[in-house]
Amino acid sequence: MGGVSVDSGGGGRRSVDSEINMVPMIDLLMCLICFLLITAVWSTMARINADAQVPGPPDPNKPVEEQPPPPMMHVTIQEEKFIISWRKGNAVESTLDVPRKPVTIGEGKRAQVRFPDLAEKIIAEWNAKGAHRDPSDKKLDQAVLHCDNKTPYKEIIAVIDAIYQAKREFPGSNGKKYPAMNVTFSMHAN
Amino acid sequence: MPIHKPGRRLMRNVGLAFVRKKVSGGGHRSVSASLNLTSMIDYLVTVVIFLLMSFSASGEIPTNKTITLPSAENTLDMVTAPMVAINGSQILVNDHPVGSTRAVEEAGRVMPRIDELFNALKTLKEDWKKINPDKKEFPGIVILQVDKEVPALVVKSVFQTSASAGYPNISFMVGKIAEKKE
Repeated sequence: MGGVSVDSGGGGRRSVDSEINMVPMIDLLMCLICFLLITAVWSTMARINADAQVPGPPDPNKPVEEQPPPPMMHVTIQEEKFIISWRKGNAVESTLDVPRKPVTIGEGKRAQVRFPDLAEKIIAEWNAKGAHRDPSDKKLDQAVLHCDNKTPYKEIIAVIDAIYQAKREFPGSNGKKYPAMNVTFSMHAN
Repeated sequence: MPIHKPGRRLMRNVGLAFVRKKVSGGGHRSVSASLNLTSMIDYLVTVVIFLLMSFSASGEIPTNKTITLPSAENTLDMVTAPMVAINGSQILVNDHPVGSTRAVEEAGRVMPRIDELFNALKTLKEDWKKINPDKKEFPGIVILQVDKEVPALVVKSVFQTSASAGYPNISFMVGKIAEKKE
């Protein structure tokens, strides 16, 4: 069984070809397939990160230093448009309106919403105004999401996904790019 | 039983020419046909490679059957953490009900603290500290499994409750969409 035999050995000598027994190899492959099929995970679940920005316990030994607030990107979801604004504390530095053009992928219960136009504008805005764009900078820029209390969760995820489209390299990432911003929620309704 | 030197063996020393002739067909077609295993082994190797490529060491993540998750492109791998599931009617922590979604919706404003959820998460945090006394820092990760039609009001309330219970790293569980290559 198995192997290739083309010569039965010339002149009564032992054959130059020997057949390899394939049975153990096939057994091994079958066992491996059974194990992998039993332990296989077919669901492709992942997570999208958000930060609640809870400050850590204050250190009484260290004096509190007054620092200028870093610029933050605020993305506001409205019925007709998105508003991308850069703010330093309460001061609004710039504002950009992006028309709300949802792209639906799939049908019925599996339909997913995407905002490719918003993603494009966010990438452009971050490339122009992001405070931590250098690949040697470990810090992330902060994005704050504002939405109405009735906004469905699928749209929130679509907007967070659009914010995470802005990517950059980090120290030690070996050329791989990761999201350049960290997202948190504004708890106030618009 | 004594061991004997092996004697003459059939087919090698005892020719059994008539058997050989019969098996080889005796001028007719042979009764035994050899199968070509090359294609079968190729197939098995291909299946093994495919299964190895899709093998996940992290195991299966329990998902609530009543929840339809949204999908996203820019995702991270799952981690082991407490799971808060939110469907159209209930809030569950590791499959135990800890609150009602409708109660939050009826409140009409963001609830900074959903008491039952807060207590359940606090208990899990205390349990973690008891199980890991040698680890100083609590990771503070919680994973939210939220149905895609749930309104932002409920998500914000659970988000804030989780943060105040000591879980600042909040992740949203999503289906994974393959990233577009640049």
